[in-house]
Order: sequence, then structure tokens, then C-alpha cells
Amino acid sequence: MTALLALAPLVVALVASVLTLAVRSWPRFQRAVSVVSALVYVVSVGALAWTVVFAPDASALVYQVGGWKAPFGITLVADALAAFMLAVSAVVVLFTVVFSVPYIDPENQQVYYHPLFHFLVAGMTGAFLTGDLFNLFVWFEVMLMTSYVFVAFYGGARHTAAAVRYVVLNIVGGALMLLAIGGLYATVGTLNMADMAARLGAPGVDAAPVVGLTALLLAAFALKAGLVPFQFWVPSAYRAAPLPIAAVFAGASKKVGVYAIIRLYFTVLGDANVTTEVPLVGVDSPLAFLAPVLLVMGLVSIVVGGVGAVSRKRLDGLLAYSSIGQIGFIVVPIAIAAGTSSASLRHLGVLAGLVYALHHALAKSLLFLAAGTIRDAAGTTRLAELSGLGERSQVFSVTVLVGSLSLVGIPPLAGFFGKFLVFTTAADQFATARVAGSSIVLGVLLLGAVLTIIYATRVWVGSFWGAQSDRVELATLDGLQVAILVGLAAVVVAVGLGFEPVYQFADAAAEAAIDTEGYVTAVGPGGEP
Amino acid sequence: MAPQGGVVVAAIALPFLGAALVPLLYRLFGRVGGRLDEEGVGYVGAGVALTSFALVVSQVGEAGVVSFSWIPSLDVALRLQVDGLAVLFALLASGIGVCIFTYAARYMHGKDNLGRFFGTLLAFMGSILGVAFAADLVVLFVFWELTSVCSFVLIGYYTDDDESRYSARMAMLVTVGGGLCLLVAVAMLAIGAEAAFGARTFDLAAMLAEPEAMRAALETKGLFLPAMGLLVVAAAAKSAQVPLHFWLPRAMVAPTPVSAFLHSATMVKVGVYVLGRTRPLFVGEEWTLLVATLGLVTMAVGALLAVLATDIKELLAYSTASHLGLMVAGFGLGSHYGAEAGAFHLFNHALFKAALFLVAGIVAHEVGTRDIDELGGLWRDLPVTALITGVTALSMAGIPPFGGFYSKEILFEATWEAAAHDGGATWLFPALAVFASIFTVVYSLRFLWLFVGDRPEGTTVAHRPSPLLVAPAALLAVLVAVTSVVPDLAIDAVVNDAAAATAVHDVEIHAALPTHVTPPVAMSAVAVGGGVAAFRVVEDVRTAIGRVHAGLHAVHPEAVYDRLLSVTETASASLGPLVHNGLVRTYVSWALIASSALALAGYASATVAIPSLSTEVPVTIVLVLGVAVLAAIATTRAEAHVTGVLTLGILGFMVAIFYILASGPDLALTQLIVETLVLLIFLLVIEQMPAFYGELDRRIAARDAVVSLFVGATATVTVLVAAPSADRPLSDTARYYVDSAVPEGGGANVVNVILTDFRALDTLGESIVIAVAALSVLVLLAMRGRGEVR
Repeated sequence: MTALLALAPLVVALVASVLTLAVRSWPRFQRAVSVVSALVYVVSVGALAWTVVFAPDASALVYQVGGWKAPFGITLVADALAAFMLAVSAVVVLFTVVFSVPYIDPENQQVYYHPLFHFLVAGMTGAFLTGDLFNLFVWFEVMLMTSYVFVAFYGGARHTAAAVRYVVLNIVGGALMLLAIGGLYATVGTLNMADMAARLGAPGVDAAPVVGLTALLLAAFALKAGLVPFQFWVPSAYRAAPLPIAAVFAGASKKVGVYAIIRLYFTVLGDANVTTEVPLVGVDSPLAFLAPVLLVMGLVSIVVGGVGAVSRKRLDGLLAYSSIGQIGFIVVPIAIAAGTSSASLRHLGVLAGLVYALHHALAKSLLFLAAGTIRDAAGTTRLAELSGLGERSQVFSVTVLVGSLSLVGIPPLAGFFGKFLVFTTAADQFATARVAGSSIVLGVLLLGAVLTIIYATRVWVGSFWGAQSDRVELATLDGLQVAILVGLAAVVVAVGLGFEPVYQFADAAAEAAIDTEGYVTAVGPGGEP
Repeated sequence: MAPQGGVVVAAIALPFLGAALVPLLYRLFGRVGGRLDEEGVGYVGAGVALTSFALVVSQVGEAGVVSFSWIPSLDVALRLQVDGLAVLFALLASGIGVCIFTYAARYMHGKDNLGRFFGTLLAFMGSILGVAFAADLVVLFVFWELTSVCSFVLIGYYTDDDESRYSARMAMLVTVGGGLCLLVAVAMLAIGAEAAFGARTFDLAAMLAEPEAMRAALETKGLFLPAMGLLVVAAAAKSAQVPLHFWLPRAMVAPTPVSAFLHSATMVKVGVYVLGRTRPLFVGEEWTLLVATLGLVTMAVGALLAVLATDIKELLAYSTASHLGLMVAGFGLGSHYGAEAGAFHLFNHALFKAALFLVAGIVAHEVGTRDIDELGGLWRDLPVTALITGVTALSMAGIPPFGGFYSKEILFEATWEAAAHDGGATWLFPALAVFASIFTVVYSLRFLWLFVGDRPEGTTVAHRPSPLLVAPAALLAVLVAVTSVVPDLAIDAVVNDAAAATAVHDVEIHAALPTHVTPPVAMSAVAVGGGVAAFRVVEDVRTAIGRVHAGLHAVHPEAVYDRLLSVTETASASLGPLVHNGLVRTYVSWALIASSALALAGYASATVAIPSLSTEVPVTIVLVLGVAVLAAIATTRAEAHVTGVLTLGILGFMVAIFYILASGPDLALTQLIVETLVLLIFLLVIEQMPAFYGELDRRIAARDAVVSLFVGATATVTVLVAAPSADRPLSDTARYYVDSAVPEGGGANVVNVILTDFRALDTLGESIVIAVAALSVLVLLAMRGRGEVR
């Protein structure tokens, strides 16, 4: 029975979509259903996380859809990694849905906003839970389709243009993904990820093309995550989408790309018997390919995102660029984890990436929602027209301060532990590898962190201090919106102060990510159907 | 005796509790009205500081570590260490805190946002107490960063003032940026601890208990110099060492009580304190070379700039940098004298500098100007303040028998000893120390001369300062006087223990007036004599320094800071449009090139062999695909939309025929339907499109052709390497589907059974995609023309 719990978040999201679609004619009721659904979603993810990670007899849950045994049907796998990603998304989803209610114009909410929102959630949930490569593609499509609508939602020229860029790039990504999945199926003979891992781990397997094929998948995932050189859609799409949706994009759906990279390379290919030789990398599994590629993408993202954010004219544009840089901070430790032969450093690197992902989800969605509140109150997010917000509402400015400081990595907020673990990973790599490249990595990380301080202080000093601008003077902040922000800011503080359970959760997730054998055993492919 | 954990925690926690309550109290007092609302919260702050002070006093003489669990998985805990150094620093922070809060209550009377102001000031004091007692590197870092954030908020107190915002941001960038270096150093020390003790820990007390083991571990890991360097950078940023000193004078835009508290007595000492704290781990040749040089250079540069200053707060700020340099230099020198100089001057400087800042505040408050040229002869109007200044400024100058003389004398001793021991270039140490001290005397006298002589014309003193402003400064001056007369009182109470905590040798501070000539005494004589002589021609000296200073304008750190910031801003402004030019063509090109390169690199790294093409391709397939290729080329060359769409249609139909030939009738059927629909929809839409495609730039076309060929080649290689050989049997999965379709799925068409049964979840997902696509059409129609709304 508990295996059904693995299905629960997905079912909740799908039912929520259908329900909100059905009660569309009663707007107030629809909003209530949407919020309650998000709450139920959080509860289902919480129950899942408890069963998979924290309960005394915790273990991964596996659900074979339709009763078809792996690898012939589609398997849903809720292990600690999936549970962690779901938990991160659930927090973002809850706050953004609730925030949407007072923020999005009621008439616009009625234009399929809520059903689409829950479809988006369903897409993310399916992507986290599925244990099947093609099924992952399907959930990516669900996410893409809903995201596309949201980018184009307001229907203006700017939004449509952003949506076209977004959709064209993602269709290209989808085609690459399909090509890669087809190739993998032809090479390995299975789509089930556990089965694939088992087959590739077998001695004497002949599957050399796997490295190149998964490189195509890496490109598709990097596109989803918005890593340089696949970040082109990010700035305009984030600015075009309604701000709560931008919060979901930055906070949750980008993380699907990161998750997919971890799952594919560490869980599926981590033990693969495919000799991969990359200069300067001391491992010979396909992870050797991931390490330098992801490292370079991450470091360049940090610089491009960080530098790009400094002079943006609008707060949402600044946050969008910042997201590119922050994803860089997430993947750099993961790249270090891929390139090391030390088991403890590999674990630490993945853990650091996950904790940073959690922090970024919280802080960035908080800031995007705050940008929404500003826009709602002052009618603009242009930084030049905003000044003196601090005097307007102390409570609101404290929430933004918490978000910004967390982004900078000030303790004891959530962001501190993210940054701290990332730096620890880089320092560990520096001590272990003793190559000049390690100090460059440390240097770029430091540079990126300084850039974060530069743009975070720019917003604070420019828009929250100073004499009130006309726009700000006339602004009235929505009390309910501010209350929601306070709640999210409290989560940021709580995660930092009570980091021990969060660490344990991330620790279990990192362990699950690199424990190929455990994953294969849990799914049990190849058993008698 | 072991320290009482509860007492130490209470001493740290109380200010934070106060910080949370003060804004509420401020509102409450505001309702009550009267004087209470304006000044009440300041006195509440003073009360909190006094309580913390009393709690710390109760721990004097005790030593040990108390620990409270925080993140056991990382071995991070709230470890608090009580020893001489911690107690000294905590006493200074809370004791001076009492004076500052009392002073500020009066000084800030009538200003805005006092709830926030005093709350932040209290949080700041709590953070300093946290730094003082922290014996866990993570906890230390937590409080270290909190001091920076509080300082940011306090420097930016006058939020409407441009300069104030600029300075606050500068301080934040320098000190928090420096803090990042500390973070990396912390990580490195923990990694070293893993090598030394077998488990990763952040227990600083444990590391300090085994400095030799830690040192060896760090060296084997190659982390000794990096960790040391990063730590020193962090400390230099926090403690305003050259060339990161420039934020400190800027921070003087803060209200004077803040300047007195943060930027003289406490926050800037955090860097010095951490250097002293970690000194036993690092002390050695490299340490001395780096830290002592840094300190002495700062001491000299700070003193020169203080002489050049025109504003009394600016003078004090540069003087602070200079004295911090003295302490850093002390901790940088390896002998026990170094430790003694650092710790003792930490104590002396806190007292005299806090008092002098309060004096500067009184002068600004009562005279209305801080310009040195407009000030003079104030002793007639402010006699008590003049007396306070006399005691404290002479201590700052290091004139015997005032307190500052003793600690500076020990530094002279330390530099002399180092030079005599190592010889060579280390003789620069004593030379620099004396050079800096000459100018220390000059600017101290300059400050003192505000009160001496005649009042310049046009300067008037508004009124006598409130006793509440003078009393805190007077109290500090009395303490300076006591230290001057009986230095052993302070030394025996805490200073000696504090120095011992930073030293690797035995420490025994001797502070007494010289009875016979020794090298340090001679150095002092030169410094005082030279200083007094230079002060007689102070304007010439200032002109000379000013000329050199102006000549070096290109390398002024502040100018470098401004330039770096504006370069970043320009780069940022141009990066947006440069990288994100809005052209889908560019975006797709980059994405495709990168993906293809990745795939090819992947094949290369696993040394994939590309199978040779089979020659037995049926003629029909060659023919069909040949037509498809021709259609593709024709599409790119089509003059009008309609021809383009039609030729594209040919391509699609050829692919469908290919499916038929490759025995995939289901696929062919789907392809045909899709092609037909696409063709129809295209033709309907084309009606609405402009007929003209626009001129095509040949170079762009050529580039696109190359990209297309590259991508096509990659796709071809991908298909070739992945395609199973013709003689390979069906995969297990495919075999299972074929075998089970009828008995398990109840359908003879395997593809259908896969779609509806084996992999029904995929079909559900794709159905959702179609449903969402339908919704998207509805959304686009509904939102069309609605204009951007929330």
C-alpha cells in the first residue's frame, strides 16, 4: 500500500488540474480549490518524504504503473533524491499558488491560470518521480507546454516574442532529447533507468556510444536548467511570465534540469562499465565526461549571470540574470563530484549542489514574489523609479532583506549553508587534486559571490533606501501578499537555524543519487513479469 | 574554574533579545510621550550592555569551553570559549557599549527611526560578543558576518543621503567580500582538521589545542599558505588594512556614536582579534613576512593620511587604521613581545579612540563643524572635554606616561628583536614603526590643538554639552588615566591572559617608565622628538604628504574600487544586448553547435568506432531519400511561402514512404496525417503573412549552412553509432512486448498495446500535452488585446 504513496503527489497535481478546470465558472471556489490542492500536495510530499527518508524503516518507494514489472512498464521511483526535489518544489508551489490569489488579476486567474499551474506542477512531479527515460521526456513536454503558455500569458508583443524564443529553443532541446533517448534504447535495449544502470554496470558491456548520446541529453537538461550556452531563453521568458510563475521557473522547474543531470549521470551512469577517457580527469566512467563540461558551463554561467545582473534596469530582469549565475553555483560542486575519485568528496559535492538548489529555490522565489508585490503596489519594477521602499513598509523590506542576504550567503540564513558547502567542496577539491585549475574554480566562485553582493546591495541601497520616489509614495502594499512573503522569509530563516534535519534530508538525497546499486535493487528490473 | 555556559550564552543572547524588543519598546514609549520616547530606548540599550558587561565580568579569570549542539552531522556546535582574549574583547565591547548607548541616547535625540537604530546597535554588540567567545569556526563566521551586516545598516542610517548609501555599500562589499575569503579559510581549516584528527570538525578550540598537528596536516594537504592568505585577506578587509582600508574613513558618514563604537573600538578589531586568535596555528616565517609587513605598512600609511585629513572624524578614522596596523604588526611578529603588543594595544586603543570619537561628536554637536581649520582654542568653552582630549590624545600619541606609550614601546621592542634576530630586510620593521610613530605624534597633536590656542574667527560654540554627552567620554578618559598611572591593574586583570592566548611562548607584560636607554626607548625618543619637531612645521609636512598623495591618485584604492565597479556596470550593461540580442537564429545556432560539439566530444572520449555503411541499401530507399534531400534543398531556396510549404510537404511525404518501405505502417500513417494537417494549416495561415521574406545576407546564409551541415553530420553519426547491427536479435523488452501483447494486453497490434497498456502513462502525459495545447490556444485568444495586467 505504501508504494501508492509514490504516486500520490502526481495524482494530487493531476486531480487539482482537472478540478480547477471543472469549477472554472465559480472563480472564488476555483481559487479555494487551487490553494487547498496545493496544501494537499505539500502534505502528500511531506508524507512521502517522511516514509522515504525520516521514518525508522525508511526506504525508497517503487510503484510499477499498471502492474507491469520493470523494465517493461513504467516505473515510478520515490527515493530520497526524488523526495528532496519534490519537497523543494512543494514549498515553492505552495507559496506561489497562495501568492497568485491576491496578486494575479481575478479575471486573468479565470483564464485557465490555475489548471495550467497544476499541470505545470504535475509535469515537474512526474519528472522527479519517473524511473523511465522516455517518460521523463513526456513530463518535460508537459512542463514545456504549460511554461510556454505562461510565458505568452499576457499576450503582448514582448510576451509573444519571449514565448517564441522559449518554444523554439525548447523544441530543439526536445528533438535532441528524443534523438538521444532513441539512440540509448537502440544501444542499451531499455528505457528503464534502473535497468539501464544494471545493464551498463555489467562486466564486458559494449556500449561506448552511451557517452555521446547522454551528452545530447546533457544539452537538453542544461537547456532546461538555463546553463550557459543554453541560457538564451531565460531573461526574456522570466520577465514575460507572470511573476509568481517566474518564481516557479526559477525556484522549481529549472531544478528539474539539475535533477535530471544528477539522476542520469550519477545514478544511471555512475557505475557504468564504459571507459571514458578525458584528459586531466581522474575517473574513467561517463562521469569523466560530465566533470569538465559541467564545470565550464557552471563557471561561465556564474560569470555571465553575475555580471549580467549588475546593471539591469528592472528588478525582475536582474533576478532572471541572477538565476543563471546561481544555477552555476549549483552545478559547480556537482561537476567537482563527477570528476573526483574520492567517495566522500563525490558525496559532498552532490550534497552541496542539492543544498544550494534548496536555498536558491527559497530565496529566489521569495525575491520574485517580492518583485510582484512591488509591481502590484508601485506599478513598475524599474529600479530607477523605485526608491525609499524601506520607509513604506518595514515588514516588507525585512522580507526582501532576508531574501537578499540569503542570496549573498549571510549566516545563519539558508543561503549561507548553500554557499558554505559549495566552497567546502571547492576547497576539498583544491586539497585533493592540487592542480592549478582548482584555484581557478575557487577564484571564480569568489568572484561570483562578490558579484552577488554587488547586485544585491544595488537593489537594497537604490530601491529600499533613499527618499521615496513618486511611484513609491503613491504605492499601497497588499497586506496579504506581504504576509505570504513573511511566511516564506520565515522558511529561509528556519532552514538556516534548524539546518540539522535539512542536512540529513540532503545527505540522504545525495546518498541516493550516487547509490546506483541501491536504486537498481529498489526497482528490481529484470524480475519475472 | 570552568566557565558557566548559561552566563556566557546569556551575555551574547541578551543584546539580540534587546534588538528584537527595542523597536517595539520605541513604539510603546512613543505612545507614552515625553522625553522617554526619544531617549528611553537608548537607556534600555545601555542597561542591556551593562548587564552583558556584568555577566562577562563574572567570567573573568575563568577558562574553558562550553558547547551546545547545533548541527551534529557537520560537527558544528555552539562552542563558546572563555579565556583571557575572549574576556578582554567582550569586556571592551560591552563596557564601551554602555558608554556609547548612554551617549547615543542623548546624541540621537530627535532623530528618526531610533527603534531600528538602537536595535541594530544592540544586535551589533551581541555579534561582537559572539565573535569574542566563539570557539567554533562556523559560529565565528556567523557572528563575523552579522557584524558586517549591522555595520552596513548603521553606516546607511541617513538613508536619504547619497554619500551615506555609497559608503554603506562600499563597507558591505569590502567586509562581506573579505568575509567570503574567511569562509573558504574556514572550510580549509576543517579539511585540515580532518587530516589531523581523523574527523572533519569546526572546533577551533580543539585546533588551537593541537597547533602542531594542525599545521602539519594543513601543510601535507597543501592548504597552509592558502588558508593563511585567505584568513589574512579577510582580517585585512575587516580591520581596514592597506589597501582595503578605504571603506573606513567613508564609514564616518554614520552617526558619531556608531563611528565611536563600530569603527574604532569594536568591529574593526574583529579582524585583529581573529588574527590573534588563530596566530598560534600559523605563526612562523611566512606569517611574519605577510602579517607584520601588512600591519606596519598600514600603520605608516594610516598615520600619513591622518596627518593629511581635514575633518576631525576623518583624522580619527585614518588614525584607527594606523593603530589597527600596529596591532596587526604586533600579532604578526613571532616573539612573545608581538603577542603582548597586539593584545595590550587592543585594550589601550579601544579606550582612547572611543573617547576621542565621543569628543569629536561633542565638538561637531556644539560647534557645528568638523573642519580642523575652523576649529581651535576650544578649551575656554569646553574645559572638561579639553581635559579628556588631553589625556586620550597623548595616549594615542604614545607619549609617556600615557597608556598608549607602554603598548607601543612593546611593539618597538618586538620589531627590534625581530630585526636583531633575522637581520637584513627585517630592519625595515623597526624603521617603519618609528616612521609611523612620528606621524602618529603629529596628528595626535593636531587633534589636541583643537582645544589649544585661539579660536578662529567666525567659529562659535553654541552651548555647553549636556553632561550626558561628556560623562561617557570622561569615564573612558579616567580609565585611560588609570591605565597610565598603574598599567599593571589592567595587565593583571585581563591583558596578560589575553596576550597569552595568542602566543606560543610564555608571556609576561612589563609596563613601566624607562629607567635606562634601550633600543626601544631610543626609538620612542626619536618618534616623540621627531613628531614634536614635525608638528612645528605641520603645514609644510601636510603639503609634502599631499603632493605625494596626489601624485599617486591612479592607485588610490578608492579610485580602483570605483573603477572596478564602473567597469563591471558597463560590462553588465553591454552584456545583456550583446549575448541576448533577441534573434532566435543566434540562440538556436549556439544551442545546436554546443549540443553537437558535446555529442561528438562524448563519442570521442569513449573512442566510439563509426560502423561502415552497409552497401546493401535497396534502390527504392535511396530514391525516396534522394527526393527528400532535394525537397529539403528546394525548401531553403523557395522564393515564396507557398512553394516553401509545398516542398516541405514533399519532404514529409517522402519520409512517410520511407516508413512504409521500412515496414512501419503505423508510423507512416501518423506521418501522413501530420503532414496533411501541417500543410493545410500552413496554407491557411500564409494568407495572413507578408509575401516578402526579406533580403538574405550571403554571409549569414553561409554560416547557417555550415551550422546545418555540422548538426546534420552529428545527427547522422549519432544514428550510425547507435543503430544495432542487422543480425542483432530483438531486445528483451521488445521480445516481451511481442510475446505478451495478445495474452496480457489483449491486442494483436503491439504498438497499440504499448501505447494503451504497457506504457499508458506516457500516453496520459502526451494527452495532457494536447489538452494544454488546446488550453494555450484559448488563453492566447482570451488574453489577446487585454493589455498587460497583473
